[in-house]
Amino acid sequence: MASGAATRAAAGAAKVVKPFLSRDLDEAKRRVRELYRAWYREVPSSVAIFQLDITTRQGRDKVREMFDKNKHVTDPRVIDMLVIKGKMELEETINIWKQKTHIMRYFQETEEPRPTDFLSKFYRGHDS
Amino acid sequence: MSTKVKQPSLFHWWLKLRSPLFWSRRPNSERVMLRLPTVGRALAGAAKSSLAPSNTVRTSVQAASNMVEVFVDGKPVEVEPGTTVLQACEKVGVQIPRFCYHERLSVAGNCRMCLVEIEKAPKPVAACAMPVMKGWNILTNSEKTRKAREGVMEFLLANHPLDCPICDQGGECDLQDQSMQFGSDRSRFTERKRAVEDKNIGPLIKTIMTRCIQCTRCVRFASEIAGVEDLGTTGRGNNLQIGTYVEKMFMSELSGNVIDVCPVGALTSKPYAFTARPWETRKTESIDVMDAVGSNIIVSTRGGEVMRVMPRLNEDVNEEWISDKTRFSYDGLKRQRLTQPMVKDGSGQLTATTWEDALTRVAGALQSVQGSEVAAIAGGLADAEALVSLKDLLNRLDSENLCTEEVFPMEGAGTDLRSNYLLNSRIAGIEDCDLLLLIGTNPRYEAPMFNARVRKSWLHNELQVAMVGQSVDLSYTYDHLGEETSVLKELADGTHPFCQVLSAAKRPVVVVGSSALQREDGAAILGAVSTIAQNARTSSGVEEGWKVLNVLHRVASQVAALDLGYKAGVDAIRKNPPKVLFLLGADAGCITRADLPKDSLIIYQGHHGDVGATMADIILPGAAYTEKNATYVNTEGRSQHTRVAVTAPGMAREDWKIIRAVSDLAGVALPYDTVDEVRARLEEVSPNLVRYDDIQEANYFKQANELAQAVNQDLIASPLVPPQLTVKDFYMTDSISRASQTMAKCVKAVTEGAAAVDEPSIC
Amino acid sequence: MFLCAAVRSAVSHTARQVRGLHRSAARAGAGGIFVHRDTPDNNPDTPFDFTEENKKRIESIISMYPEGHKQAATIPVLDLAQRQHGWLPISAMNKVAEVLEVPPMRVYEVVTFYTMFLRQPVGKYFIQICTTTPCMLCNSDSILEALQNKLGIKVGETTPDKMFTLIEVECLGACVNAPMVQINDDYYEDLTPKDMDDIIDDLKAGRVPPPGPRGGRFSCEPAGGLTSLTEPPKGPGFGVRADL
Repeated sequence: MASGAATRAAAGAAKVVKPFLSRDLDEAKRRVRELYRAWYREVPSSVAIFQLDITTRQGRDKVREMFDKNKHVTDPRVIDMLVIKGKMELEETINIWKQKTHIMRYFQETEEPRPTDFLSKFYRGHDS
Repeated sequence: MSTKVKQPSLFHWWLKLRSPLFWSRRPNSERVMLRLPTVGRALAGAAKSSLAPSNTVRTSVQAASNMVEVFVDGKPVEVEPGTTVLQACEKVGVQIPRFCYHERLSVAGNCRMCLVEIEKAPKPVAACAMPVMKGWNILTNSEKTRKAREGVMEFLLANHPLDCPICDQGGECDLQDQSMQFGSDRSRFTERKRAVEDKNIGPLIKTIMTRCIQCTRCVRFASEIAGVEDLGTTGRGNNLQIGTYVEKMFMSELSGNVIDVCPVGALTSKPYAFTARPWETRKTESIDVMDAVGSNIIVSTRGGEVMRVMPRLNEDVNEEWISDKTRFSYDGLKRQRLTQPMVKDGSGQLTATTWEDALTRVAGALQSVQGSEVAAIAGGLADAEALVSLKDLLNRLDSENLCTEEVFPMEGAGTDLRSNYLLNSRIAGIEDCDLLLLIGTNPRYEAPMFNARVRKSWLHNELQVAMVGQSVDLSYTYDHLGEETSVLKELADGTHPFCQVLSAAKRPVVVVGSSALQREDGAAILGAVSTIAQNARTSSGVEEGWKVLNVLHRVASQVAALDLGYKAGVDAIRKNPPKVLFLLGADAGCITRADLPKDSLIIYQGHHGDVGATMADIILPGAAYTEKNATYVNTEGRSQHTRVAVTAPGMAREDWKIIRAVSDLAGVALPYDTVDEVRARLEEVSPNLVRYDDIQEANYFKQANELAQAVNQDLIASPLVPPQLTVKDFYMTDSISRASQTMAKCVKAVTEGAAAVDEPSIC
Repeated sequence: MFLCAAVRSAVSHTARQVRGLHRSAARAGAGGIFVHRDTPDNNPDTPFDFTEENKKRIESIISMYPEGHKQAATIPVLDLAQRQHGWLPISAMNKVAEVLEVPPMRVYEVVTFYTMFLRQPVGKYFIQICTTTPCMLCNSDSILEALQNKLGIKVGETTPDKMFTLIEVECLGACVNAPMVQINDDYYEDLTPKDMDDIIDDLKAGRVPPPGPRGGRFSCEPAGGLTSLTEPPKGPGFGVRADL
């Protein structure tokens, strides 16, 4: 779920490093698939429990989108890290530690980046 | 026995009281001894010997500095002879409670709140009225002092209503504060309270006279500062009341100040009544733009709304007073505002649009014509930042047609020499001069704070005032030399009888009104005035730094505009009508549609839907002076800046930003994005504009006079008549005050009487 | 504590009643309120101007004061105006202000301060009866009653023919000759109800009865005849040693 940080992946692949959780890429992929399945199963109940204004289909599409966002990552250690973060998110969702707005944030980012050039600041309004 | 011991010391004290000179100045006591009554001599000798050692030490100090040493609660302090007890205590930092005493008013000494004990004095003395004597020990917190204060406070509260919860003064009431601090903690009062009828003294000041404690501050303010002797005390004893006796408006351009002066809630602001409490408002220090004086103000705001305007102390400009227009026209900031960009549609109707649309159209218009076909006119409320941005924008488009609405003669030295268009003597400088010659101006309504300073000097420094121009009530007496321009000629030639007086003056000052210079013969008048000033200067033999020639402006933007190189007057535009005209808050109506070609485009940028906006094709909503951080230069050349008190309404933007945005779209982006960068640009053009609260000396009168002689213009015979003659003309002069209901009420009350605007009082 | 409060409230109750009864001269005579209200006979247009004779008097009054201190003449000039007009309408005050070149408010202040300036119309004869303690002890109440019965008016009123105005005042400083009344400028002292009737009759008939004590005594001599200085004064040299 967290944004991918694969910048160092290429550099890391060249030399042998200590594994993090998975010993190789296949194992890491398995963990990803497990996580994906868990999310896939969770979506209908979340939609019901949080009374989300979306269909299960839309939720699952969003899950897929979030996974696809990091599909370029190849370093098993980075994948592991992302999986752990995804699990944390999942746990928070299942236990309803999150609230509706936290879930909906996946669908809409409320904050827009502040404009930096004069004209955009001017159009946006008071005090830049 | 005890009395015997006491007697010499008491007598000694009395002796000191009687002859301070004895102890302070004369080392040879014999000479003074002879002046004492014979009975006192023996005792005096005894007393002297008892305190001899300390005295000899003190006399030597005294001889050196001529200061009087007194003690405040045992703490020694050196003060000038003639200082009052209260001032001496103030010097040490001890605040003595007071109601009737006010620094800038005469001493009345009638509230008795400032009673303090003086050691060895039989009775408490009124600190505000009693000059100190050498060696006094003032006890500001003794049992006797406290008891005296409690007693006075008890009597004051006996007739004061307990309506603090509904009183507008609540939270900033001297009586409230001081009764908490110095009063008793319980009441013994079971009788009935006196009630006094409320007076209707106009649409600005609300009176609840039952709350009055008869300090007479307002009476003294009216007669001393305002020069309108309408207020007074009628009746006597318990029935004494403050009022006008007859049904009458308190008719002064400074009347609002009695609200600040009143220590209780007897005189409060009518427009502000029941709207806000002092502790819930946010106060922003700012500058007034209603006239060219640039009074320092505090803008009180709550929830993005200006609740009221109050004066801020600045000894060099407005002391602690402000004019009624400054104080009460703030409701004009909420009405008639331009809140959205507007463009004229096909049917000629102005319709609201977006900034993108409006700015694109403006930029397109600017790009589609030759540089010289673009012109701009700056109005009276434009700030220096907007002025410099507009100038930079037009210069980048190869146009030099930048004018101000206010006319100033451009012939001769014109605006090239800065001393030619400033009030060079400064406002505070009036207090040093001994002869003031006013020419074609009515400072009472053109610059009330300047007039108050003249009156102050007239009252206390024996200032002699003379005037050329229509005779008006200035609140002080003056020699009226006539209203014809021929008088000026005679004065310049030295043939007028008044020249004798003028040449006898030690520190003469000549003030010419900006309106007099806006006539067709403005340059000739300026030339004549310059000659008069130069002659007076030579004959007076005053030191080099003293400046005689002064110009009194009427609008806040003028000096900054001239400093930045704007052309004064719209003649150039009238002669050479532009295709695109940019009005920066120009609301005086100097240029109308009739002056321009049919297809010309008028862009109006400003904050009020006034004269300028009605004839515009595109309207760009700007910010008013309370809504921007902007620089204004007053008539003295003093640069000051306002601060943002509230945000601009709707889509309105700060003026320089609008121009900056236009420049961006027009492809000639100006190189500044922040207000600091604009000010850096201001500094490049004219460094004085950003040296805040400082005045740049300008002293080129001789050169200006020489250049003025070269002007070939004759004086026109028509009399000099300033545009604002009576108080009726004072209230509505610019787009803000024209939009103000309070100001409209004032005009109505002046023309039809105070009863015409009488509103049912709520309490 | 409670007792104390009870006593205090009792005291204040009596005090309140006294306050209620107490109406000083300022309140009763010199015209109640201290603000001006236009009435048909007292408004800025009420005709008033000094007579030629009084104008000369004003000049001489003003000349008594130093140059530039015309304001000092406020009280005597106001008095002159009151003597001319009988009382002081607002127009008279304005006229005085005009003559003395001071703001009208400064004149109003003086007029409202002094109770002897009458800001409301009074009759030709302005009767002020003293009812302060010494007079009261000498039965001034009977004089007041006699006056009220004779004139048919109450205190503070004017007879319909505009001849008499009656007010009650505080001590006029003639206690030794109590009871007394002041009619215009004259004191009538040592009065009995009968004397009062006679005085009013005389005034009605257009005569001015001689002012001063009734009942024969001279000035404020002791009421029971002289107790000292009873014989004619001795000539010069009395009691001086013969050889000098």
